Amino acid sequence: MSNTRENVLSALRRNVREQYDMPDLDKLQPITFADPVAEFITKTTTTAGAKLLEMQPGEDIINKVREAYPDATSVASNLPGLIAANAPALSMHFVNPDTATVEELERIDVGVIEGKIGVAENACIWVPQQMKEKAVCFASQRLVIVLRRSDIVHNMHEAYDRIAASADYFQQYKFGTFISGPSKTADIESALVYGAQAARAVTVVLFDS
Amino acid sequence: MSTLHAKAAEAYQLKPEVVERHDKTFFGVREKRDRMAHALPEWEDLREAANQIKKHTVTHLADYLEQFEQAATSNGVHVHWAKDADDYNRIVLDILQQHGVKKVVKSKSMLTEECHLNQNLEQHGIDVVETDLGERILQMMKLAPSHIVMPALHVHREEIGDTFRRLIPDFDEIAKTYVAVGGSPADKNDPTFLTYVARMHLRQQFMEADCGMTGANFGIAETGDVVVCTNEGNADMSTSIPKLHIVSMGIEKIIPNYRAMGVFQRLLARCGTGQETTVYTSHFRGPRPGGEMHVVLVDNGRSSILGNEEHWQTLKCMRCGACMNTCPVYRRSAGYSYTYFIPGPIGINLGMLRNPVQYSDNVSACSLCCSCDNVCPVKVDLSTQVYRWRQQLDSLGKADKMKKAMSQGMGFLFGMPAAYKAALWMSPIVNWLPGMLLNSVLNPWAYGHRMMHFPKRSFHEIWSKELKHQR
Repeated sequence: MSNTRENVLSALRRNVREQYDMPDLDKLQPITFADPVAEFITKTTTTAGAKLLEMQPGEDIINKVREAYPDATSVASNLPGLIAANAPALSMHFVNPDTATVEELERIDVGVIEGKIGVAENACIWVPQQMKEKAVCFASQRLVIVLRRSDIVHNMHEAYDRIAASADYFQQYKFGTFISGPSKTADIESALVYGAQAARAVTVVLFDS
Repeated sequence: MSTLHAKAAEAYQLKPEVVERHDKTFFGVREKRDRMAHALPEWEDLREAANQIKKHTVTHLADYLEQFEQAATSNGVHVHWAKDADDYNRIVLDILQQHGVKKVVKSKSMLTEECHLNQNLEQHGIDVVETDLGERILQMMKLAPSHIVMPALHVHREEIGDTFRRLIPDFDEIAKTYVAVGGSPADKNDPTFLTYVARMHLRQQFMEADCGMTGANFGIAETGDVVVCTNEGNADMSTSIPKLHIVSMGIEKIIPNYRAMGVFQRLLARCGTGQETTVYTSHFRGPRPGGEMHVVLVDNGRSSILGNEEHWQTLKCMRCGACMNTCPVYRRSAGYSYTYFIPGPIGINLGMLRNPVQYSDNVSACSLCCSCDNVCPVKVDLSTQVYRWRQQLDSLGKADKMKKAMSQGMGFLFGMPAAYKAALWMSPIVNWLPGMLLNSVLNPWAYGHRMMHFPKRSFHEIWSKELKHQR
């Protein structure tokens, strides 16, 4: 096997005819918006197919979850605000993705997770894995993503620059994903359908620090 | 005289309504791409950056692969190297057998198609379940993909509904729960309803599987990330439930760093499906807690493509599918008319690089309109490459005999001005031949259209007598 490795690498080195330089990406002038938060909200609620709620200071995340999905019967989250309040008060089944199994998480109605960066140009939200089982981000029937308003950037270049510069990500868990809305497909006759394999619905909750 | 592509394309025309629907579907995607392109002022700069990053990376690939391997290994990922398809299949089978895997859930990967992984695993008693909805439909129907990004759009909802009812064992139970989640199917083949059935069926598969396999849209050398982009979230489901994750990655998928990733993330979905982004852009940097992650780096001919002076730039391709969506020949002849598993402009070229004698039938599937060159996000010179392959057909023994004879005849005429002028002077005589003879199937000039009408005076004559002196 190590032989294969050497053969592939030496064939690549042997077969290169001319080498090209990496372009200067600082010269790119990516799109920016007069009001990136407004752009993010528009993209989230139109093309991305998600809902958006704004949380006022002093308001409780639990109320936002209930507002987003009044019929929810079970919630999975490890956000401190939710763990503290817990679910008996809500008469909802509550599990923590740090301790629950993926089998339990697959049956959960609403997952509540935290986004760290929002991207105005395409409604993407950077969700680093901050729980033992990332299944909560995908297998939950519906998803609530909380995001700080001041963490919204203009475009993907800024988002990737922030991730590369931060020491917060990929430490304990070696995974992170951009999520822009509910899982979707158009594989049957190009008809757009929300709720392919992962979350059927997504609500983004914006808050101020 | 016709190529296999031409014959298959001709047979496809027998159902004009199917052709029209296929054409419109994919031109619709092309138009969505255009709207995305026009919405970004920096669009052309972005394409040029992508082109240059890929040229740089592909011509420094050995260094970047070493860097990727080192980063991935230090993240706890097992990295394997496969020289060809057999090698690759053996490596994957070994990993699966070592873990006693019975069922694999798999997200879409063109590389596994290229290497015939599924057939190979099934021969060894391992159940492979495709989890992309389109791929799952095709797998159940035992069909091949007709497009690399939207593989099943040529199949109609009635066929999909019939297949699901026949092959999903608990179809009726799933259908009953649809009403409970607020669904009300417009009819039994309603796409929303069928997608729901597939969702519930696939969820069982995710829960039962012992391994999740994904492809890779990008591998980031600096950090060792494998990046997978999907709309359905099936790659994420496949890797969040089973503990074993195997990534299959062609060696050309490597890019240098996160700055480069920003460029490609912004182009991939915009070019491929006309969306600003895929729903999920997932960065896998290591195994999940208590799990294992393997990356198999596959050469399978790529390192020799790098040495091909005329065709090495196909290695820049990121498999977005934009060239097929815009191609007038692809849109009107569909994926199965091509003899290589990847159709359209990029497929013509990749097929020739795989085996020029076996796949030369596809080089006729190009009108040299060059539209593909103008939509390709990484500026692969697709039509120029098709043209170059055509120049080589004679040396491969694959030149069309009639066209070759005509070329030789034309060469003779063009080489002898007197003979050429005489032929031109006589050409209107053809106009007096009976139409039946002219439009018969024996006359190749009249194939697919009416025989042309030769003008009384040639351009040559008009030029030399009248136009030449008008300045």
